[in-house]
Parts: sequence; C-alpha cells; structure tokens
Amino acid sequence: MEEKSSPKPDARDAAQAADLLVTVAATLNERLAFTAEELARSQTLLREASSELMTAFRGAADRLVAATKDEAAAPKNVEYELVLDHLYRAVQHLQSHDLVNQLIDAQKLRVDKMREKLGEAISLAEPPVNDPAQAEQWIQRSRAMLDCIVAGIQQIDDDDAQHTKSDKKHAGSVDLF
Amino acid sequence: MKTILAVDDSATMREMVAFVLESAGYRVIEAEDGAQGLDRATTTSCDLVITDQNMPNMDGLTLVRSLRELRDYKNVPILLLTTESSDAMKAQGRAAGATGWLVKPFDPATLLEVVQKVLR
Repeated sequence: MEEKSSPKPDARDAAQAADLLVTVAATLNERLAFTAEELARSQTLLREASSELMTAFRGAADRLVAATKDEAAAPKNVEYELVLDHLYRAVQHLQSHDLVNQLIDAQKLRVDKMREKLGEAISLAEPPVNDPAQAEQWIQRSRAMLDCIVAGIQQIDDDDAQHTKSDKKHAGSVDLF
Repeated sequence: MKTILAVDDSATMREMVAFVLESAGYRVIEAEDGAQGLDRATTTSCDLVITDQNMPNMDGLTLVRSLRELRDYKNVPILLLTTESSDAMKAQGRAAGATGWLVKPFDPATLLEVVQKVLR
C-alpha cells in the first residue's frame, strides 16, 4: 500500500491557494445572492408602480379611443388634443418602465447563471484530495474551479452580446429602407 | 379602416402601440410572438405589420422573411420596432425585406408619421 507523505511547502502553498479560492468564490456567491434579492425587490416595486400607472393610463386611453371611434359624440377639440398629448407622453414613459423591467430580468438571469457556476466551482472543492502532500492535486483542483468561474464569466459575455440593450442614443430613431 | 398587426412579446408594448394607432383611427390586431404573428397575418388581411425583433418562438427577422414568402405580403410594409439599434442588425432587417427600423422607446408622433408614410 502506498503511504501518503506529509505536505511539503509547495503542497501547503497550493492547498492554501485552493482554500483561498473557495473563500473568494463563496464570498462572491453571497454578495451575488444579495444582489439577486435586491434586483427582485426593485423589480417588484417597479412592477407595482407600472401596474398602477397602466390602470390609470387604460382608464384615460379607453375613453379617448372610444371618443375617436364616435366622432359625433366627441368632436376633436383643443382639450381632446391636450389629453392625447399627455397620454402620448405617458406612452413613452410606460415603455421605459417596460424596458427597465426587461433589463432587470436579463440582469437577474445573469446573476443566477453566475451563482450557479460559483456553486459548481465550490462543489469541486468538497471531496478531499487523494494525497494532500501532492501540490499538483491542489493545483488541479484550483484550475478546475477557475475554469468553472471563467466559464460563468464567458456565459455572461455571450449573453451580453446577444441580449438587447436599451440604447439611449438611438432611442426613437427611425430608418426607412 | 386600415388594419395593423402589432407583434411584441411584451403586453405593455403591444398596448402602447395599439393605443397610439387606435387613437389615430387604425384597427389593430395583436400577436405575442413571431409564430402567432405569422398565423394572424395569414388569417387576417393586414395593411401593415409592426414587429419586435427579440421574441420567443419566432423572432422579428424570421417573421419578416416568412411574410415576404407569402404572396399577400410581398408588398405590405413591415416595420421593426425594437431596442436593437446596431447597423449590422438594421442591415439584416433590410436584407430580410423590412420596410423600416424604429428603435424603442418610440415617440408616438413619430410612429404615426412613419405609419402614415409607409401606408401611403
């Protein structure tokens, strides 16, 4: 039977580095859990506010559209145009609410994916190494954890490239082909 | 009365588009993704299609291509209304057969101007 040797300085350093990586991953995961909660809370508040605004908007919009369909009952006077103008401005702001809500959804998804990868990385450190005296085993473990974390970051970058971004500079722009 | 098909997976966005167009006297029918939009377009004759790009089931560009394959929609104007604003995406829209590209959030007056223009 092969006897396990006592850790050499290199192995101790490698083991400490692996432990440090676990601590960093776990701390980052905690912070991201907090971020996820905050995002969810912000989204709830935004949705409640949007819902109230939408109810108010619908009340006015439905009446106005009904009036448009029945021109004899409601001739288009100055007041009508004024109300319509206010509603059109509300349309722009309600769209912004909707876009922010979608952006929060995308951020939540990114945070969840990163947390999943960090969790995976932490779980790689759970089983004991076969021979703690071998630096190479600790290094392999750290490398596997880092690969997992880097894959999570890569996933975020890929999502960023695919995801729609609300571009303030081009908002409202029109191109006719 | 002209009929406009509004395709967007966001109910709020559909509602905003519908309100603006209905307030100007258009009839609006809605669909929540490209697949449903294609279905609606084949069962109802539409004078204009306004579609989002990023949607589940079928995206806007695929919808444009699919509609352009239909005889009834060869010449019907199709507008993309999306948060996407890159030149590359717009070029794809043009190549797919879209009539125009509008970036969200839209200005109601501008939307109506564009709609009137493409329906002329």
